[in-house]
Amino acid sequence: MTMTGAAMAGGRGDIARTSLRRRIENHPFSWLLPVAILLGVFYLYPIIDVFRLAFTNASLRGGEEHYTADSIRALIVNPILPDILWTTFVFTAGSVIGQQLFGLGIAVLVMRGERRRLYGMTALRTLVLVAWVIPGIANGLIWQMLFSEAPFGAINSVLRMMHVQPVAWLSDPNIAMLSSIISNVWRGTAFSMIVFYAALKAIDTTLYEAASVDGANGWQRFRFITLPQMRPAILVNSILITIATLNTFDAIISLTGGGPGRATEVLSLYTFNTVFRNLDLAGGSVLSVLMLIISLLLAVGYASMMPRREPNE
Amino acid sequence: MRRQFRVALLATVATLVAGAASAQDLITKDRVGPADAPKTLSFRLTGDGPGNTLPDVAEGYQKLFVDFIQKHPGWQIKLERMSDNIGQEQARMLEQTKSGTGPDCAAVDSFVLALFMNAGVLKPLNEYFTQAEIDDLFPFVREGITGKDGKIYAWWWDTDLRVLYRNKDIVADAPQTWDELKAAAIASKDKGMEGLLVNGGRWEGTTFDWLANFWAQGGKLVDDSGKPIFADGENREKFLKAVNYFKDLVDSGAAPKRIATIVNYDEFNAAAAAGSTALFIGGNWQLAQLKSTLEPEEFAKWTFSPIPGPTKDQRSTGTGGWTIGAFSSDPEKVAMCAAIAKEVYSGAGNALQQQLPTSKAQYDKFDVFKSDANKAFAAALVDGQARPGVPIYPEISNQIQVMMGDVLTGAKTPEAALDAANAAVQAAYARL
Repeated sequence: MTMTGAAMAGGRGDIARTSLRRRIENHPFSWLLPVAILLGVFYLYPIIDVFRLAFTNASLRGGEEHYTADSIRALIVNPILPDILWTTFVFTAGSVIGQQLFGLGIAVLVMRGERRRLYGMTALRTLVLVAWVIPGIANGLIWQMLFSEAPFGAINSVLRMMHVQPVAWLSDPNIAMLSSIISNVWRGTAFSMIVFYAALKAIDTTLYEAASVDGANGWQRFRFITLPQMRPAILVNSILITIATLNTFDAIISLTGGGPGRATEVLSLYTFNTVFRNLDLAGGSVLSVLMLIISLLLAVGYASMMPRREPNE
Repeated sequence: MRRQFRVALLATVATLVAGAASAQDLITKDRVGPADAPKTLSFRLTGDGPGNTLPDVAEGYQKLFVDFIQKHPGWQIKLERMSDNIGQEQARMLEQTKSGTGPDCAAVDSFVLALFMNAGVLKPLNEYFTQAEIDDLFPFVREGITGKDGKIYAWWWDTDLRVLYRNKDIVADAPQTWDELKAAAIASKDKGMEGLLVNGGRWEGTTFDWLANFWAQGGKLVDDSGKPIFADGENREKFLKAVNYFKDLVDSGAAPKRIATIVNYDEFNAAAAAGSTALFIGGNWQLAQLKSTLEPEEFAKWTFSPIPGPTKDQRSTGTGGWTIGAFSSDPEKVAMCAAIAKEVYSGAGNALQQQLPTSKAQYDKFDVFKSDANKAFAAALVDGQARPGVPIYPEISNQIQVMMGDVLTGAKTPEAALDAANAAVQAAYARL
């Protein structure tokens, strides 16, 4: 093959590659299809089916299934729903605030420790992460043993040794909610810590140096540099842990079972009970749709507060 | 001669080793029978089987299953172990069997059997049991497994009941009435105990154990058509009387407030072992657990008696237990499932685990049921009452659990809690 021929062949190859790239750019559906199928089968189809079931009388008991709005009507007039939503709000708000505060506190502590080259910071990070990898059910069982009000309950035994009156951790409806939040915060703090730790690492250290030159004290540096710089991380973390907390039921079911009474029965647990105890598949689907709507509204709300990128960024 | 003896000895050892190896090959964690057997039966079971956490029981079931499969050549049984979350497991299995993806054969909790029967997923088992065997079942057992067409749809192989356990050193005489129990519990507190322990948290045991107090007065949860009537007329009075009895136990200090958090019979064993209680209402199976948990001299202090009623003559106790049912459409598999119920569980399984049999004949057949304790349990079955086999029962139970928590913690009055429970149950019934 002559040089001219080789150049022509190379030229044809380049043209073919460019043409293929153009074709892909102009018709992205073919290469997006596998992902779309995967998402559709494993994510979209169940959601569509839940919407469909919400408009039926489907039950695990059997019987003929037909389309009706009765399940939605039953939810709207359900006198228990406001209590369940309030319980969910208290549990979610308490957990999200607690996880953010403790996560931020530990992340700042680890960062400062690392800057000062203190011994044991890696161990501290690992210890916090241990709680995160524990399954929800196990988390509930661990705290159930700690909060046990039996004479041999762990925390109350310590309180008795200190001549402090034992606490009705799980049998008092108000304290039971607090106990549930504590156990969830203990488990979820690690995730917030990781997010905040990464965000802290990304802050330009020259900002702190400049602030120090200007005479800013520790609190001022935290208030006017750290927090504003971490705003996107805090908002993203808020979205993620709010949705995760809304869906939490495993830790509660093993800690309190939703009781005493309905004191700790959050929306996700109520949905679980509706399907697996009352065997009401349609009712559970309506509740699932409600959870999806709440999660979406919260996500949109948080996202609207995110700082916008400038066009030239 | 010596050589012949050696050969004989070697042959015996080889045979024994081969036999043991062969038996081991016949049972694994999730299979009974040869892996290449042409016919397969999937069997979903609870801890009552070769995977039991107690080594003796596990070994006993392994032997029973190996003997069984040797009598049924050509078959292998795929074992599917349920988790301890029985309510969820049974609900999931109901859904699976309805969609045709369930096991061929399974353990079905007696209190949800009606749901499976009404869903039409169970196969009749009459042709695998004689009429004499069916007639010998206790009436509540026979009624529980019989469908509207008169056919039996499962084999109820074991039953249980609730009794009052007490430490004789602290409570010498068995309390006969509610008042006597309250007085005994308060007296036990003077001796450093925490009073009477009962289930009171969000789980089925709370409803089931408390219902004995409602049933003892003749109360009915549902009418003959299955409609909830526990909040109507006389039933309402009886219901409130039984709720107020529990509330009074807590308010008076006879029972600790923490009973509103108890969701496991094991808590009673733990309290007995810790020496912090002298009275609790538990299941008959707990006697064996206490025996294995406590030191012999401590165990000797414990005994049991029927659950006290409002009067000495008004008694009741909840009876539960497990059934085995067939879901397969293949008649051969249905026959195999019935054979498992008959040859592994009914009788042999009862004796192995000391689980109370469901027919009179088996109490005479096995020596283990001739002990004083088991005779006493069998006698107490006279007051036995099973939960109503109606589709609305799970929701009634759920609402009673919520109600009990609200009442025991003082969040609601018994009347308000009953009204809320009834409203929720009636709404659920209307949607059935």
